[in-house]
Amino acid sequence: MSRPFTIAHSLRVILAMGWSDFVLKYRGSFFGYLWSLAAPLVKFLVILYVFGPFMRDAIPDYPLYLFLGIILWEHFTHTTMGCMTMLHDKKSIIQKLRFPRILLIFSVGWTNFIIFLTHFCIFLFFALVLDITFTWTRFSMLLIFVQMTLLALGVGMMLSSFSLRFKDIPHLWSVMTQILFWLTPIMYPYSADRPFFEALLQVPGLMRDISWVRFLDIFVRFQPLSVLIHDARRAMIFSPSQAPSALHALGFTILCLLLFSIGVLIFIRRSQSFLQEY
Amino acid sequence: MEPVISCTGISKSFQRTLVPISFLQDRFLHPLRGAWRVQALKDITFAVEKGEWVGLYGPNGCGKTTLLRILAGLMQPDSGSVDVRGTISSYFDFSAGFHDERSAVENLYFHGLFRGMSSQEIRSIIDDIIAFAGVESHQDLPVKCFSTGMKLRLGFAAATHMKADVYLMDEVLAVGDRAFQIQCLEKLTAMKATGASALLVSHNLQHLKRVCDRVLYLEEGALTHEECVHAVAH
Repeated sequence: MSRPFTIAHSLRVILAMGWSDFVLKYRGSFFGYLWSLAAPLVKFLVILYVFGPFMRDAIPDYPLYLFLGIILWEHFTHTTMGCMTMLHDKKSIIQKLRFPRILLIFSVGWTNFIIFLTHFCIFLFFALVLDITFTWTRFSMLLIFVQMTLLALGVGMMLSSFSLRFKDIPHLWSVMTQILFWLTPIMYPYSADRPFFEALLQVPGLMRDISWVRFLDIFVRFQPLSVLIHDARRAMIFSPSQAPSALHALGFTILCLLLFSIGVLIFIRRSQSFLQEY
Repeated sequence: MEPVISCTGISKSFQRTLVPISFLQDRFLHPLRGAWRVQALKDITFAVEKGEWVGLYGPNGCGKTTLLRILAGLMQPDSGSVDVRGTISSYFDFSAGFHDERSAVENLYFHGLFRGMSSQEIRSIIDDIIAFAGVESHQDLPVKCFSTGMKLRLGFAAATHMKADVYLMDEVLAVGDRAFQIQCLEKLTAMKATGASALLVSHNLQHLKRVCDRVLYLEEGALTHEECVHAVAH
């Protein structure tokens, strides 16, 4: 076997590989890093132009609301897709060297987190320009960074675990993300009349006499990405009194950790078969 | 003395649908589709002692590389057990897993990291590897700018300069031109003198007899016989 991978060494591999992939991604292109801004910026401008006039009254600070939603969405989709494409990008290493394959997944998470942080700095700049008040509650965004990473990597690992065996999965996921984009409150308001976990208890009652409209409504409200994006807005844009409560933050972190743990278990188990599935 | 590699009753088979790609619908259509199945390895049992160099000889497609991948821990056998005592350095398919867009130095750095080496250890051997492979002039260029021979030499140099107890090498003596092959043989002889063990795979028996103490013969996934040899001068 290879030398044992300590936590410190694993961390070194993740940070080095993730940073190197970030640099490599834009090496040789004229606009370099600016390309990472192109997709969210174009999406932001188009949606702001089309939906802005209808949403401005319903949602205060709509440009910030929209931009934060888009950069979180872009992070989620790029990370989940990156977890699948990584198996092909790093094929030569996977086929030749023995090491914990999960380090490659974490390096994808690190690369996309670096890109997200740069987008988030742009968001902070506009937040300052638009006079968003900064209080200590804004620091709860740090926990949302953790939740966001756990959620994206958890889903990404589940998908990539089977993407070599079933080549349809990346295509299927790209279609599903198109649907999910409209089923996530990125450009429209998130309706919450009571705390999330309290509302969650009401779901069995709502499921009686279920219709498509009600089903979609429940899905939009309770799917993890909706909650994450709503929490980020509560932390960064809405008034400090609306910041996520400690109990809510704890509950949602546990949920993200659960998804992440399931992803880790599946990935570690399936990664033993990757070599013969290429 | 305990062997550094011991494997007992290793069997491995591969199965794929006749269309060599997988779709979700294969799950449902599987009973209707034909399947291609090959028994790559059949009940392989052997051991490699500490300091011993063993050759694995056989024609193409007899299961040599599959066996090496199982020993390297890259693939799981269907049955049987593998016990490797010590660290492994492996070299498969004429490459060491380099990324075409990264430079030689970057590739060597990550190669070392994935082998569990510290940054200092890697930096201390990078110059030696580059010099051995004779690619000093290209060291900061992406590997995609290297000729095929340069890539092969760099891969071999990386695999042999990493300190390990056991070296697993696939067609290692087919690398590069005649001059580099002589350089390789000298390197392998020097590695042997350090007391490391190795399992070398080739379909060229003369190459194996030059450096190995023993040659195992593999045919259609089964070990047929073995031959003790004395290294011959090249």
